[in-house]
Amino acid sequence: MPRSAGTAAALIVVLALLLSLPFVGGDYYLYLFALVFTNIILSASLRPSLTCGQLNIGHSAFMCIGAYTSALLAKNLGVPFEVSLLCGAVLAAAVGLAIGYPSLRLRGVYFAMVTVAFVEAVRLIASIWVPLTRGNAGLSGVPKPTLLGTTLATRTSQYYLALFLMLVVLLVLYKLEHSRLGLIWKSIGMVDTLAQSLGVNVANYKLLAFSLGCFFAGVAGAFYAHFIRFLFPPEFGFLLATNILIYNFVGGRGHFAGPIVGAAFLSLLSEPFRGSPYETIFFSIVMLATILFLPGGLIMLPGKLAGLWRSASSTYAPSGHA
Amino acid sequence: MTSALLVQSAVIGLSIGSIYILMALGLTLMFGMMHIINFAHGAIYMLGAFVIYYVYFQWGVPYVAAFVLAMLLLGAGGYLVERSIYRPVKGGIEPTLVALLALTTLLQAAGYPVFGTLDKHVPPVFSGTRNVLGVTISVERLMIIPIAAVLVVSLYVFINKTRMGAAMRAIEQDKEAAALQGVNVNVINGLAFAVGFALAAAAGALMAPIFKLDPMMGEQPLLKAFIIIILGGLGSIPGAILGGLILGLIDSIVATALGAEPAFLLSFVFIILLLLFRPTGLFGHAP
Repeated sequence: MPRSAGTAAALIVVLALLLSLPFVGGDYYLYLFALVFTNIILSASLRPSLTCGQLNIGHSAFMCIGAYTSALLAKNLGVPFEVSLLCGAVLAAAVGLAIGYPSLRLRGVYFAMVTVAFVEAVRLIASIWVPLTRGNAGLSGVPKPTLLGTTLATRTSQYYLALFLMLVVLLVLYKLEHSRLGLIWKSIGMVDTLAQSLGVNVANYKLLAFSLGCFFAGVAGAFYAHFIRFLFPPEFGFLLATNILIYNFVGGRGHFAGPIVGAAFLSLLSEPFRGSPYETIFFSIVMLATILFLPGGLIMLPGKLAGLWRSASSTYAPSGHA
Repeated sequence: MTSALLVQSAVIGLSIGSIYILMALGLTLMFGMMHIINFAHGAIYMLGAFVIYYVYFQWGVPYVAAFVLAMLLLGAGGYLVERSIYRPVKGGIEPTLVALLALTTLLQAAGYPVFGTLDKHVPPVFSGTRNVLGVTISVERLMIIPIAAVLVVSLYVFINKTRMGAAMRAIEQDKEAAALQGVNVNVINGLAFAVGFALAAAAGALMAPIFKLDPMMGEQPLLKAFIIIILGGLGSIPGAILGGLILGLIDSIVATALGAEPAFLLSFVFIILLLLFRPTGLFGHAP
């Protein structure tokens, strides 16, 4: 796990703070943080695909599939939450395989365009399949999440469920990134022709990274469905898909913490104007500024500031061989 | 479906197809030279339509002047985007794509406070109807076809007969070699952005009197243009033209028979099948 003792200590402090939030904050903060955790799952689950150099602009579609699958199974058939969540995630991953197989063998932009079109396709299906999804009237009355037959009725229990799901997803993704598989993904992202020449089946590993991300997006969607208890097709459109990408790029691509930092930072800062056009304006401007002025993302900021501090406090200017 | 309805769908398909072609041409031109996909194309289409709304309808400037102004303004905007986004990231494909996505969401979201949340309508520019092969079609829709054709032919002449067009083709073939021959790659890339943006603005300006205007209006044409350039082969201009005609016709006929949403879903399934069996599209080079 984390290399330095400082990082470990910081992680323990953050975890302790998150665990104690229900004792200090009201329901509003629990609700807000549960949504932030959902965003972090979405953001971190996009990372494997991005590491392979694949721009997935359709992640919200897989969240949508997970959300509707789990909600409909629980609402119409009374399937318990644990099972319906898993079904939603598996279906999202299966659809990911079907979409990824034809498009991931080609140049990256094909995949990017197919995923954008796919978001619209899924949104349309959710809007026009009225007998099943209630279309744009929205699917209401989704049951609250259950655990081993007990309904998690309070915000506190739902908050802990979200925290638990996020920690499990992050742990799995972290382990994968630091395994042999993670190295292969990284090599594909750097020079895929070189990776291929070394015997890596590039298309299959890209497909694995992509559908794994879809699986976890399905998990996030399923939790969201039972937490908000109301599903509305336009919410899972192009805008959400772009936001998930923005979390990754603003947070930083170079480190596992990047998408987590990006999602937490942007979802908390945009909270006062959530759902209004100003949220999108804010996200877009932060994104453009990051690309132009801080290409490594927020996680590079401490290092950059430290570098500035060092060069400002040193007595001679480090010129010539920078 | 009766034959009259079929003829009507075909003519309307041809006029919608012309709009799609204008959108797809800019996309495929920019892809051929820089290997990027301009996600902001739909937002530029939207801005082109809003230029018509304000300049032609609100301020009473003649339609032709407003149309040319839309192309010039947004063409200049395209050059600016190359200068302020594409060039600073040194042509990196991934940062460019993400920045263009952010530009798209920025322009769409800013549209609500700037243009207002109510749908806007532009009164017809060309009134009346014409009889075509026994069916009546509005002149408004018919006029799109010759105007788009003029733009397509001008683009063809520009790319094939002028020095700047030759520079564009040189960059498409080999950027480094073009630079060594004295082509100013940055300026010519900026020109490609300008041409692409101007064509998208023209498409929006042509559609302004036909559809209602709102900040999200560019999304559908953008997705259609994606499907067309995959169908025609990325980077291929004849492919974009043929793909646009095919999609326009299919779209109009299927949409008349089944509705707009199934028409889109059908074209998406078609693209996935195409990528499986003929990934280079109709005219594409090896991917």
